[in-house]
Amino acid sequence: MRYEATFLSESDQARVHEESLRMLAEVGVRFHGERALPLLEAAGAAVDDDSGIARIPRAVVEAALATAPREFVLGARNPVFDYALPSPVSRFCLDGTAAFARDFETGERRYGTRLDIELGCRVFQAADMGVMAWAPTAASDAPSGARALHEFVTMLRSSSKHGEHELHTREQVPYLVDALRAMFGDDTAVRQRHPASLIYCPVAPLTHDGPMLDAYLDLGALDLPVMFMPMPIPGTTGPASLFGNIALANAEALSTIVVFQLAHPGRPLIYSSAVGSMDFRSGAYLGGTPEMGVQSAALTTMGRFYGLPATSAGCTADAHDTGPEAIIEKLLTTIPPMSAGSAIIVGFGEIDGDQTLVLEQILVDNELAHLCERLVEGIDPATADGLVEEVAEVGPGGNFLFSERTRRAARSGEFYLPSLLGRQSRDAWLEAGSPTLYDRARERVRDILEAPMLDPLPDAVDGELDRILAAADRELG
Amino acid sequence: MTEELFAAMRQSVIDGDADAAAALAEQALADGVDPLVAIDEAYVPGIRYVGEQFRCGDLFLPDMMLAARAMERAVAVLEPEMLARSSQRKVLGRVVLGTVKGDIHEIGKNLVAMMLTANGFEVHDLGVDVAPERFVEKAKEIDATMVGVSALLTTTMTGQRAVVTALAEAGLRERVKVIVGGAPVTRAWADEIGADGYGEDAVGAVTLARELVGA
Repeated sequence: MRYEATFLSESDQARVHEESLRMLAEVGVRFHGERALPLLEAAGAAVDDDSGIARIPRAVVEAALATAPREFVLGARNPVFDYALPSPVSRFCLDGTAAFARDFETGERRYGTRLDIELGCRVFQAADMGVMAWAPTAASDAPSGARALHEFVTMLRSSSKHGEHELHTREQVPYLVDALRAMFGDDTAVRQRHPASLIYCPVAPLTHDGPMLDAYLDLGALDLPVMFMPMPIPGTTGPASLFGNIALANAEALSTIVVFQLAHPGRPLIYSSAVGSMDFRSGAYLGGTPEMGVQSAALTTMGRFYGLPATSAGCTADAHDTGPEAIIEKLLTTIPPMSAGSAIIVGFGEIDGDQTLVLEQILVDNELAHLCERLVEGIDPATADGLVEEVAEVGPGGNFLFSERTRRAARSGEFYLPSLLGRQSRDAWLEAGSPTLYDRARERVRDILEAPMLDPLPDAVDGELDRILAAADRELG
Repeated sequence: MTEELFAAMRQSVIDGDADAAAALAEQALADGVDPLVAIDEAYVPGIRYVGEQFRCGDLFLPDMMLAARAMERAVAVLEPEMLARSSQRKVLGRVVLGTVKGDIHEIGKNLVAMMLTANGFEVHDLGVDVAPERFVEKAKEIDATMVGVSALLTTTMTGQRAVVTALAEAGLRERVKVIVGGAPVTRAWADEIGADGYGEDAVGAVTLARELVGA
């Protein structure tokens, strides 16, 4: 029986929904940009053009929820990695978009580059619990006007799994459209396969960024799915009660669903969240806390309440270094959303409040994900069919090692066999040089990076992408 | 009576009670208390106490924020009388704060604003999406000691360089210090763009600001 934890009772879920509706109707949401307010006003929201605030009535929210699709497939450049939503299991996204990367050779923490995105995505390609790539760092070596495009394309080039990233302005849209056409054939193919999606974060509390929102609305023509990720922090950008912060995040989620469904009814949307907490002594953002874990789980529950594909941030760490602190924090923030049924947990590979990419952390997190998955898979009574007969066969004082069932079980999902955790005897471990989990991960990263890139794009497509990016650099600066 | 009033004014800041702080400031004026004396001998000791308790970990950020707000409300009540008497409050510095053009994130900047206020600075917060020219204009208007520029995204942090450049072109860099902050900002970046310092968090920003004004 799969282990499922309850973080919000049914009545709590209903209350969150009602409180969110009240916020939308009575407090309203501020929408920057050009496209959202006219859409909302036409649908019946009360819009104040001076403040940019729209008060959204229940009926508008309910209509939007009715048109949001409940199931779809996140396609991948290599169809073997297609991921259907909703999912009965939890899988993972590469975390993004950090400002920094730890240099694999020197260990120096520096601003991320296009090469870091490529290397991160190539390592992620080998992470079997990973289903969605995200550009793990910003490309500080790309011109700022076209930077998001470089990040997007580098990610899609370097991993053939489903890729999601962001754009920042409407001016960037045509270049992404051209790049997707170059990679996937034409607009019809992109609309049908959904091989790329967009990550969208409202600005808490209750505010939507104009240029990004407008760009994403423009991309509705290609039916690109949008994973929306509210991130209020209790006590600063959200109420200081976890329940209250959850309701505020949910209100932001509903406002996002409304505006995207008004623009393109039926556009795929993925419910997500990234709600941390705050250190009240310093004001620092905290992502690796039990409060983050339970909020992620509760918001996953709300996504499922609406019947939408429900995902969340998780596997997050504030630790400034790899090691036990990072692992503790990542476990605290993975187990809750996983046990709440999060279809995708975002994500692998970062520490330092999601600000630093570490390549070996991607594989450590993959191992952690497997361990957590085994935990939530729980106990399957079907494995004990014919139990008494087997026990009788072995008899008192006997040895189950000689049982055929044991031979089958040793290779089944009943017992997880780790690939990075050390299981040697102490002497063997000492003889091997006392390798740590991270040492083994580093070795594996090196193997991956020394091998050819998997699923590279054809040269002609690569060339076209280079041409598109060069044009973006010239024209966007 | 005055002693009791002053004790109550001090306590209203410690308690973070903005309504009480403002009401007591009104009472002080009605009683003929010099507004500058009310600030320096009642409200400032209150905020100083909160600052000390915060530094030793007995009070937290929300306590500081509420105390700063109470202080602000009291000063707002007392300010018109101060102007009428041509008195000027002693402050450690006059600071212009804002988030760069193209960026609407402000929670960190807001924390810094309150912390600087609580620590004796006069703060003028321009909000978000602020063009470099606006920083310059405000700095000239208030004869600023310092400009603080926040950015949350790697794509918008280049705006911090633009502010440094704009201040230099306006001939203000000699007397106006520039501090920068935000998630993607580092000491190295601050050095690269010619800023005077970088605050890793709100507490760090105040320490830096105090150092830069020699307090």
